[in-house]
Amino acid sequence: MANDLTLTFLQAGLQTTLQDKGRAGLQYLGVPVGGALDITSAAMANHLVGNEKNVPVLEITMTGPEILFDSDALIALTGAPFELYCDDKLVENNTAIYLKSGSILKFGKLKSGCRAYLAVAGEWNAKKWKDSVSPLLQVPEATPDSIIKKGTKLKINSAFLNKTGSWDKNKHTPILSNRVRLRVKPGPEFDSISRIAIAKFFGQGHEISKDANRMGYRLTTNLTNPEDRSEMISSGIIPGTIQITGSGQPIILLKDAQTTGGYPRIANIINEDLDQLAQLKPGDEVWFSIA
Amino acid sequence: MIDIIPYGNSALLINFEQKIDAKIHHLVKGYFNSISNLDEVTYQIPAYCSITVIFDSQKTDFESLKQKIEKLEINSNETYPDARTIEIPVCYEKEYAPDLESLSKDINLNPQDIITQHTSVTYDVYMMGFLPGFPYLGELPKALECKRKSTPRKQVKAGSVAIAGNQTGIYPTDAPGGWQLIGQTPLKIFNALDENAFLIKMGDKVKFKSISSETFKTLQQNGK
Repeated sequence: MANDLTLTFLQAGLQTTLQDKGRAGLQYLGVPVGGALDITSAAMANHLVGNEKNVPVLEITMTGPEILFDSDALIALTGAPFELYCDDKLVENNTAIYLKSGSILKFGKLKSGCRAYLAVAGEWNAKKWKDSVSPLLQVPEATPDSIIKKGTKLKINSAFLNKTGSWDKNKHTPILSNRVRLRVKPGPEFDSISRIAIAKFFGQGHEISKDANRMGYRLTTNLTNPEDRSEMISSGIIPGTIQITGSGQPIILLKDAQTTGGYPRIANIINEDLDQLAQLKPGDEVWFSIA
Repeated sequence: MIDIIPYGNSALLINFEQKIDAKIHHLVKGYFNSISNLDEVTYQIPAYCSITVIFDSQKTDFESLKQKIEKLEINSNETYPDARTIEIPVCYEKEYAPDLESLSKDINLNPQDIITQHTSVTYDVYMMGFLPGFPYLGELPKALECKRKSTPRKQVKAGSVAIAGNQTGIYPTDAPGGWQLIGQTPLKIFNALDENAFLIKMGDKVKFKSISSETFKTLQQNGK
């Protein structure tokens, strides 16, 4: 049994976007990969409501939205834990929740981490561009439904009543800390970077600066005399690449980063640790060690 | 001739001789085309003298893919019959060329000569990056080589034609940018709402043609 469900955003939150796995294959045209940053949490949200893992989810950053559901719905919130309220009643994260028609879902305080993922059982009626709903920063018109604003309405063909059997009790509940160690592989320009800079890079914690978004995180550390060689010719960037700018500041690149860059790449965070990276926010501390 | 190194745990980097050069670009393009046929490759980022190759680690690993790529036979002298030459109409008049006058002083070349030089070359699309659909075109005539603006603009208009270093490029969308703006095209080189969103692709050739502001306005109205 299916029904039509509309989500109306009474508040948008700080940065709420519709995300799926992004788009691989257009990088030779300068298109970033995009997609949910914490893919394990996003997949788990879909799993809890019985969706396939690549169905779009809402990625919610630090301050959550307020959403009116005009029909019955089955939802789940994963990733960074929020105080979550359904009609002013506290409800759980990391579990499937039934909402009755007319319910208002409100986000309270963020307890830890940075990004939460909200899945809704059913099929999203959202415009895709090149097979993905993930928004492109400079081209919002490509995916007009994916950047949530106050008043945005999103439609879902909500077929949850058929699928309740697929829930699993094996919950993914990430352990989120504001001080983490991430594993890296040496980057392509590792050998051309000064020993002092390398020692500082691995020998201390680095604070995530306020300049942190889906494109990248600038760290507050300054690695003096970072490089011994002259300007580098632009080359490819992948999610998890750590560049050192001319002034010695490390920048971690995420999924919305531009596809090429001209700064030396000191290291790459391994794929297995990218979900944890996605949960860091300004003020958090990150340490690096060789994988 | 090529150096293949690991890049993270599911990518590799092919480094060519590190310089911006047409012959190296043709090698990059040759490798890019051949590697595109490999099933285990998820995507590639070709650049001036490197290719980043992202692979599916369920299907292959660094060593196997490296060996496979090393065995490819790529001829840099190939002419690539599929390369298209795209003519881009550009209005170099004052209102579309905010940096032309100051640049003229900086490089000691009068504006008309800058236009003549800029339209004299058929450029290779060496790579795309910075923004979806931003082509890096080379090589710029020596006389036009210049620095970036010391303070980047917060907003550069879509269609702006710009130069910096020994390269020229076209802004596909409104965006911040630090290159010297010497003209503007009425063409949409990137249009997300069009089925063929990208007018220009890596490996194409581009030739600029000077047009009047009247022609600019007509072409813009026709939406071409």
